Amino acid sequence: MQNPGEWTRPGGSFAVSCERVSYSYPGSGRPALSEVSLDLRQGEYVGVVGPNGGGKSTLVRLLNGLLRPESGRVLVTGRDPATEPFEVRKHLGVLFQNPENGLVAPFVEDDVAFGLENLGVPREEMLGRVARAVRAVGLEGYERREPHTLSGGEKQRVALAGLLAVEPEILVLDEPTSMLDTAGRREVLEYLKDLHSEKTVLHVTHHLEELTGADRILVLNGGELVADETPERFFSNADLLRENRLVLPVVPRLALKLGFPPAKLSTPEELAEAILARTQSGTRSR
Amino acid sequence: MTTRGLGQFYPLSSPVHALDPRAKLLATAVFVVGLFLVDSTMGLLFVAASLVALVVVSRIPAGTFLRLLRPVLFIVALTLLFQVFFSREGVTLFEWGFLEVHSGGLRLGFFLALRLLLLVSSAGLLTATTAPVALADGIEDLLSPLKRVRFPAHEVAMMMTIALRFIPTLGEEAEKIKGAQAARGADFTEGGPLRRARSFLPVLIPLTVGAFRRADELADAMESRGYRGGEGRTRYRELRFRVSDALALSLTLFLLVVGILL
Amino acid sequence: MKLELRDLRHVYARGTPFEVEALRGVSLVVEPKEVLAIVGGTGSGKSTLVQHMNLLLVPTSGQVLVDGADATTLRRSELRRRVGLVFQFPESALFAPTVEEDVAFAPRQLGLDEEEVRERVRQSLRALGAGHLAGRSPFALSGGEKRRAAIAGVLAMRPEVLVVDEPTAGLDPLSREELLDLILGLRESGVSVVLVSHDLDEVAEVADRVCVLHEGRVSAVGTPAEVFYGDPTQAPATVRVTSLLRGSRPEIGDPVRSQETLDALRALQGT
Repeated sequence: MQNPGEWTRPGGSFAVSCERVSYSYPGSGRPALSEVSLDLRQGEYVGVVGPNGGGKSTLVRLLNGLLRPESGRVLVTGRDPATEPFEVRKHLGVLFQNPENGLVAPFVEDDVAFGLENLGVPREEMLGRVARAVRAVGLEGYERREPHTLSGGEKQRVALAGLLAVEPEILVLDEPTSMLDTAGRREVLEYLKDLHSEKTVLHVTHHLEELTGADRILVLNGGELVADETPERFFSNADLLRENRLVLPVVPRLALKLGFPPAKLSTPEELAEAILARTQSGTRSR
Repeated sequence: MTTRGLGQFYPLSSPVHALDPRAKLLATAVFVVGLFLVDSTMGLLFVAASLVALVVVSRIPAGTFLRLLRPVLFIVALTLLFQVFFSREGVTLFEWGFLEVHSGGLRLGFFLALRLLLLVSSAGLLTATTAPVALADGIEDLLSPLKRVRFPAHEVAMMMTIALRFIPTLGEEAEKIKGAQAARGADFTEGGPLRRARSFLPVLIPLTVGAFRRADELADAMESRGYRGGEGRTRYRELRFRVSDALALSLTLFLLVVGILL
Repeated sequence: MKLELRDLRHVYARGTPFEVEALRGVSLVVEPKEVLAIVGGTGSGKSTLVQHMNLLLVPTSGQVLVDGADATTLRRSELRRRVGLVFQFPESALFAPTVEEDVAFAPRQLGLDEEEVRERVRQSLRALGAGHLAGRSPFALSGGEKRRAAIAGVLAMRPEVLVVDEPTAGLDPLSREELLDLILGLRESGVSVVLVSHDLDEVAEVADRVCVLHEGRVSAVGTPAEVFYGDPTQAPATVRVTSLLRGSRPEIGDPVRSQETLDALRALQGT
């Protein structure tokens, strides 16, 4: 899925590429990431899972230049985030786990504008982009609200709007829903879903039901990339799940135990339909 | 429960509220300086009347405004009493053992007390009619010429806006931690002042640690969004100096000159 | 113990323009040795409600009764020992230099002697699978470890009722399951657990009874089957699946837990 002319710098056919990247936190005994190589093509939607401490957050921070690899090479749109962080951050936006500590301004619209202010975008242009971003996350009317009055889901949507205003091609989501309640999670995922078609997305999460639509799922454990599978194969691999402290969500788990393909059935409605279809047609297994 | 930034801002719509914060900041500064140049009681009373008029125009209810002054009433009273009872100027009005009240002391006492009150009132009027965010922007703009001498005007303003953004959040966090420790049997009301201060450690420590962690996460988020200091930055919020602002400043200057001359 | 809330009303910021009625007459009983789940959306009043159980909040009207006696007549410290409350994200309240010092806080506040305190610390940490963390600094732990340390701190009071507000929030799925197992274990040992949760799937696995709060009022209370089949649109995934099949295949019954749901579905398929 190469875009001729785009990113014609070396290594530039991928949106993101990591070549044998290693990193250890200062004072830590073992490496957080060890010789990890991966590629993300433009437009792909890739999930990243694994136990806590396995390297997922470290990977995110290496991609946007908050951390610099000890060895190996990271390229984002053909650029090295460690040497050109400002440039890279125009093309790669990160949605962090805790929305509270990512909101910097006293009002919603000011916060959405923050990234644009940093880029030196002229004020007239900012007005339109902020308005569009606020609309894109369904928060029209919230412009003058103060962050502490918002629900978790709303805060995360403000953070998302702030990213979208900058119009990056690549979005990295670092466990964006893990601190939200069910309603908040649903809200945020709804707006994230719309973005899969236009952007390259790397989605780090524990909630496997969020990745049923992913092209691939990467597993990071102990700082190493231990698997790179389609959701279908991943959900059906009980050993892989257990080794990585992962749990199938309720519906796929039931589906699997009843002999259905787990990644295809993620909602209760889909499972019920499948069961009805099967019992009506009288077949026992497919 | 809402905590309003500095807690003194009273959002209303009035001509004073609508003024550019820079004009108000400058006017307050001029006012404070001018106040010390007024040396006649007549002049001071004139200035006081002007300030009262301003408070009326700002639509802030009298009761609310007086409440803003409550913290300083003690010092004002002290100043007054000190001058009244210990100044020996002018004619003796009456004596009471070793306490003497002289006309000079009475006059000076009232003068100083009134001046103190006016000082605090002008600051109070400023913060009551100007949103904290606007104040921060105004301060940043007024200080920005100092950037030429390497003064971090932008950074100072950014610190202020971030602090304002997090005050309510930290307030809620403090309440929550207090509740959690109370649920474990902590008692914040018992014992003398030392004991009571110590009983707050289980609240202060996690609050502080938490605040540092927040700061780290915030710094990461800001950097990730391309923040690299004030260089090359544009601003979403706009401050526009209008005719009314120039007029307000001139009026303040005029009133003060009158007061000085009186 | 039997903890009863009778017609509880709570109004925040009374008499100010920010006045809000968070609880509008809630009556609820917590029976001994049960897991009672309290569910409801944001703004339903869940957190306000549970803070009345140990009188951190005092009702505007209505009563809190402990074994029939008005809770306001009990000594606060006594009440808070018997009804332990764990806030959401409790790890934000960790403060001592070591985990064991932190867990020791509550027993020390109770005035117990050092030996008893140490014993309680040891037992609570063990119950949470956190014995190995005793000498560590709470600030150097992972999120899940901190969570365990914080809960141990409340458990060390040996409460008769343990109220936990969103105990699994932010945890990875396996830690979540471990914590839910712990809750079931507590019930076995005689502690009543009041579980406030937005996660209906987790409630489905552990609750004996469910109470649904909506805008400050109880909109439903009963066994999980009664409550969830009563409104399958606001139900755990298991119930949502089976309720869609009940119309055509009523023999499926009303399973709520995943194992019993699986069995029922297998029976349906004839597998």
